[in-house]
Amino acid sequence: MSTNERELTGAELRSAFRLAFDRLEESREVVNALNVFPVPDGDTGTNMSLTLRSGIERCPDSDDPPASDVARELAQGAFFGARGNSGVILSQFLKGFSDALRDRATCNAADLAQALDMARVAAYGAVGSPKEGTMLTVIRRAAEAALEVPDGAEAADLLATAFGASCVALKNTPEQLPVLKEAGVVDSGGLGVVIIVGGALEALSPSQYDTASSEAQLESIIDSSMASLGDSGQPQDQGFVHSSLEEAWGYCTEFIISGSGLSLEDVRRYCEEMGRSTVVVGDSANVRVHVHMQDPGQAISYGVSLGSVSSVKIENMDQQNVEWAAGHAAPAPSVGAPLTVVAVSAGRGLAQLFMESGCGHVIEGGQTMNPSVQQIMQGVEHAGAEETIFLPNNKNIVLTAQQVAANDPTVHVVPTRSVPQGVAAMLAYNPASTLEENLAAMESTLSEVTTIEITQAVRDTSVDGVAVRLGDFIALLDDNLVLTAESAERALQGAVGMAGVDPGSILTIYRGADVEESSSDAVAASLEDETPGLQVDQVYGGQPHYHYLASIE
Amino acid sequence: MAIRIVTDSVSDLPPSLAQANNITVIPCYVVIGSETYKDGVEISADRFYSRLPDLPRLPSTSQPTIADFQETYQRLLDQGHQVISVHVSAKLSGTLNSATQAKAALGDTSDIEIIDSQSASAPMGLAVLDAARIARESSEFQGAVRQTRLSMQKHHGFVMVDTLEFLQKGGRIGKAQAFLGGMLKVKPILTIRDGEVHPVERPRSTERAKNRLVELAQTLAPIRQVNISYSTDRVQALGIRAQLAELVPPENLVESRFGPVLGTYVGPNALGVAVTQGTEDMT
Repeated sequence: MSTNERELTGAELRSAFRLAFDRLEESREVVNALNVFPVPDGDTGTNMSLTLRSGIERCPDSDDPPASDVARELAQGAFFGARGNSGVILSQFLKGFSDALRDRATCNAADLAQALDMARVAAYGAVGSPKEGTMLTVIRRAAEAALEVPDGAEAADLLATAFGASCVALKNTPEQLPVLKEAGVVDSGGLGVVIIVGGALEALSPSQYDTASSEAQLESIIDSSMASLGDSGQPQDQGFVHSSLEEAWGYCTEFIISGSGLSLEDVRRYCEEMGRSTVVVGDSANVRVHVHMQDPGQAISYGVSLGSVSSVKIENMDQQNVEWAAGHAAPAPSVGAPLTVVAVSAGRGLAQLFMESGCGHVIEGGQTMNPSVQQIMQGVEHAGAEETIFLPNNKNIVLTAQQVAANDPTVHVVPTRSVPQGVAAMLAYNPASTLEENLAAMESTLSEVTTIEITQAVRDTSVDGVAVRLGDFIALLDDNLVLTAESAERALQGAVGMAGVDPGSILTIYRGADVEESSSDAVAASLEDETPGLQVDQVYGGQPHYHYLASIE
Repeated sequence: MAIRIVTDSVSDLPPSLAQANNITVIPCYVVIGSETYKDGVEISADRFYSRLPDLPRLPSTSQPTIADFQETYQRLLDQGHQVISVHVSAKLSGTLNSATQAKAALGDTSDIEIIDSQSASAPMGLAVLDAARIARESSEFQGAVRQTRLSMQKHHGFVMVDTLEFLQKGGRIGKAQAFLGGMLKVKPILTIRDGEVHPVERPRSTERAKNRLVELAQTLAPIRQVNISYSTDRVQALGIRAQLAELVPPENLVESRFGPVLGTYVGPNALGVAVTQGTEDMT
């Protein structure tokens, strides 16, 4: 190790992560847009950004903090704020990073290389079966490149090398994951990693960042992904659905304007002036609007003045907020009990169903808002039982839940990947049985349930050979996009047909907030007619964005 | 002089079996509106279940009177018998209390022993049949009492109900409270443990519940007695019976019916399976 290399102070390290966060936050919608499935989802950009924000907010404010403190607090904050699989991986990355700098007041390039390598190990460790072509690969390539930087290099040189390698890895992700290739995009979490490493480099040396990013042609990597996502080349789904970030104010108003020569800019400007939490996406023919208005009629009248308006949905946010607050003010029925279940679900119907089935507490969340480690911990605490069985009910929450369980031996995760799986597990719960008996019984239900989800595509794309247009109703069968249809009911019917049912099967239909009871009744009746002996149960789920959830068991 | 078994009608013991085993069944009462009927004597199960849907208020039940017990005990004592009196769980009914007071009224004679079966219906029926067998095979009263008490924990029962509403309204839901509430259609399976109703499972259909009843019975093997019970749907009961028939010799396979008192709590379409654990030679 040479003596003339400069040591990075804790304050510099902090600046590097702060700029990394700023850049990630700025690019959040771009990262979100890379979502392969055109479904309202817990978006990667949002999840990574919120996770990193939670770390940044915990960083010490002092003028000259030791590097070890900066890294430790960053990792600790990120741990509590971790949400979604990408957030959990990022938080573990930061944990590994901080472990390497445990007793460093300052750090040099060699320390950083070591830290990146430990970060890589920790990130891979966060996932049960690591997949290549994801953010893990990008992390790994960055760390490997950093280790090869010769002794005596400056920290900025090392980061420049790591950044360059991460860009190459990112560009290569579609070659490793066919689903990315088909959609014509790079991995979203991988892009998040590139942005973080790039932001850190930029803080240390803006000129080296400029050189490295132009050499790596980062802009063109992003542009070509964006081009695959829609005519406008803009991020298409700006997170219609970042409910966790939305302001509960007035009426949540959503609709689609169809016409010709529509200007996204004009619509967006109008909505921003009139309301809050504005999201406007689409192209010149179809514009999807989401805005919180005090007078929803105003927004719809405006839409009608531009073209034809469809898929109108209005919800009273103030009312929802009041109800939600009331639900959380009451003590949980499970306080002091030896055992309880805490579940994640979105929508009043589903929350009621889980509570009636014996849950001690329901954490509001799911597809479109992935709760953080901290929110899960608070939910468990609110439930107040000695032991807690936790049902994530979403594939993007399982990892977060497992992080909680890894740190709290009284929390036991039954890894339900969907609401229907969660319901089946809940029905197997018996408060009169022991924890072990319950875990065994609940886990045994996981393989017995086929899950169907019906939603509307939030952009044009192609997935698993199925071409999808913005606004199409799409059906996911156990996480695979299987078909599109012109109505939610047809999508449901088609998916049930593809899944296959026998006399003796039980089909449960959870009607979403946007669906009329009569529509649900009609599709249920028709499915019953098609398969004599099929039991069809209908439940009001009230879930947002997903017109129907259904299970076959 | 012999040892005689007395029980109450909550055992749901078919009259022919009771008679064949010299078992005296004291009826509880079912109260419909302003009328009171002796369970299974003054109102049959068929009549009860056919009236049930049209009743403006759910029926209620009451235990046999002290006099009912005293009369039976006196008669048996007069015949020179000793009595083992096996009854419905004291946590579910005051029947045991009536029996105890009747015995006290008879000077607390040591020729009467009262036993809490900690059970009800089909498994209790098996417990009573087992007590009768023990009584037959015993030469000495206290030995028979001891053996009967020990045998009580060998009988297990599971019942599937169409709805928990009857148990809840009748105030007998116990720990199955946890299974109340239903946006989803379920067919709860319950059991009686330590004299109380406990929840077991929540299958989503009758078909699945039936399969589970069979499986739950099979997991208790080896078994030496089986009792299949139903409230209104005998065809379903026969389906279960067919699946369990091979586990025991035909004479140890009982078919019973939830009588009016039981029906007050389990309602129509209930199905039950009870078994006695053990083998013929290790009784």
